[in-house]
Amino acid sequence: MDAAKTHDESAPPSGLDQATEAPDESIAAVVGAQAMQLVGMGLEIASVFIRTLYYCVRGRPDFGAVVRQMFEIGNRSVVFLTVVMGFIGMILVLQGGLQVKRILPEFSMVGASYLELLIRDLAATISALMLATRVGAGIAAEIGSMVVTEQVDALRMCAADPIDYLIKPRFLASLVMTICLVIWAAGVAMLTGMLTAYIMFDVNPRTFFNLNLVDTGDLVVGLAKCLAYGAAIPVVAGHSGLTTHGGSEGVGWATTRAVVNASLAVIVLDLILSALGYVLLGP
Amino acid sequence: MAAKKPPSAASAPPSDAGLFEEIGGGFLSAAATVGGMGLLGYKIIQRLVTFRIDRAETLRNLYRMGVKSIPIVIVTALFTGAIMVIQAAPLVVRLGAQGLLGWGAGFGILREIAPLLTALMINGRVGANNTAELGTMVVTEQIDALRVLAIDPIAFLIAPRFVAMVTTLFLSTIFADTLALLGAAYGGLGLLGVEPKTFYNGLTSGLLGLSDVTSGLVKSIVFGIVIALSSCQYGLGVKGGAPGVGRAVNATVVASAAGIFILDYFVSFTLD
Repeated sequence: MDAAKTHDESAPPSGLDQATEAPDESIAAVVGAQAMQLVGMGLEIASVFIRTLYYCVRGRPDFGAVVRQMFEIGNRSVVFLTVVMGFIGMILVLQGGLQVKRILPEFSMVGASYLELLIRDLAATISALMLATRVGAGIAAEIGSMVVTEQVDALRMCAADPIDYLIKPRFLASLVMTICLVIWAAGVAMLTGMLTAYIMFDVNPRTFFNLNLVDTGDLVVGLAKCLAYGAAIPVVAGHSGLTTHGGSEGVGWATTRAVVNASLAVIVLDLILSALGYVLLGP
Repeated sequence: MAAKKPPSAASAPPSDAGLFEEIGGGFLSAAATVGGMGLLGYKIIQRLVTFRIDRAETLRNLYRMGVKSIPIVIVTALFTGAIMVIQAAPLVVRLGAQGLLGWGAGFGILREIAPLLTALMINGRVGANNTAELGTMVVTEQIDALRVLAIDPIAFLIAPRFVAMVTTLFLSTIFADTLALLGAAYGGLGLLGVEPKTFYNGLTSGLLGLSDVTSGLVKSIVFGIVIALSSCQYGLGVKGGAPGVGRAVNATVVASAAGIFILDYFVSFTLD
């Protein structure tokens, strides 16, 4: 017992010495520090997420704020998302058609495979990456400015938890609006994909719009991804916003962090959910 | 009429400004931004052709933008490789051809996914950061101070960032191509039981050529130019303190992402 204690006490100084003497000599130290930082941030984000969930159940209901955020997150992203997903639909069908052309010049299954891929993964993931950029940056910039101008401290002084007041409405709005936006985005991508197939490869739209390969599993995986991304983006971005420090440069840093972390969260969740869907529901 | 408008605009929600006015205003501001980016690009090329570019600043930016982005690029590429394999899996299972996995995932990775996702991540990290930094300089009048000292802000600040960003994205894409294929090979082993050797054979069996790799790399250069120009343009145009910086960062990230996707289509279209 005593030995363990002395060991514990002696460990930190030696670690500190190593850090001060050779800050960038060992790769293990650099990687370890990065990993520790990552784990710490993950824990902080998890804590924000749990507190958000708690306030969703026990907090004060603020319907107006949720509707305002729904407008901000949803309606304001429609044009951006429409443009991006329209082009994504064209790119994917163009590339897919070229790929098929190399093996066998037969395009009847292009539409079916494209729709399956879109519903299972790409509609949700690419929309979410775009929302992570637009909505994540917006949330972090807004909350970050509030932190810098000490409005968040003022909220705390009034005994209002900033998570209940600022993050919860964005969380609920994002959950609802991500699903709506992804469905809209999938529709846009289907339409532009269909047009591209018709113009470039002479595929009849009726042949293209073939939902035979789409089963319940694909739909479930796609919708689960929407929910996961919709929950992750505001929490991650809100965490970046709340940890802002240091003037206008700090706001910029927080926004950058929000975009990067939210995009990484989307990619990691995509891998987890895709693998789970593959293992549980089959190919 | 001019006297009547302001009160109605102030009392009504922003969506009531008139649909045509909103659309027209959007187009005008987009045109102004693209024009500004073009002018900025012209000025940068002027400096580059005559070698009026600050070398120390270029190296510093290459380190900050390139070396510091490596962890993000690694994580993104490995994960995307694995995701691509999962998405290509139904094709392989249905056709019963394991040899096709390398080709299917490799085609998507080299041509589209690796350049696109690397560009999106670099856009989030480097582009946003660049706007924030330039915006802060504008807000604190450091750019005016440079002009007062007879230092050309474009040669000293903008051109090095442009060069660094384009180089970073190009090199990161090569890096990401490799790592994504690695992630795909081991993702295939873990999830589908396809040996990495089979995967490698599928990659090199002749269905994929050098043109697939170069197509992705050309895209990465185009994306780098888009990100660099838009982040510098929005950064230099910041107005109004800390909230202004936040708004500019938001706008630049959105504009570059849209620009990346739009140009992606045209590059894919012209290269084939």
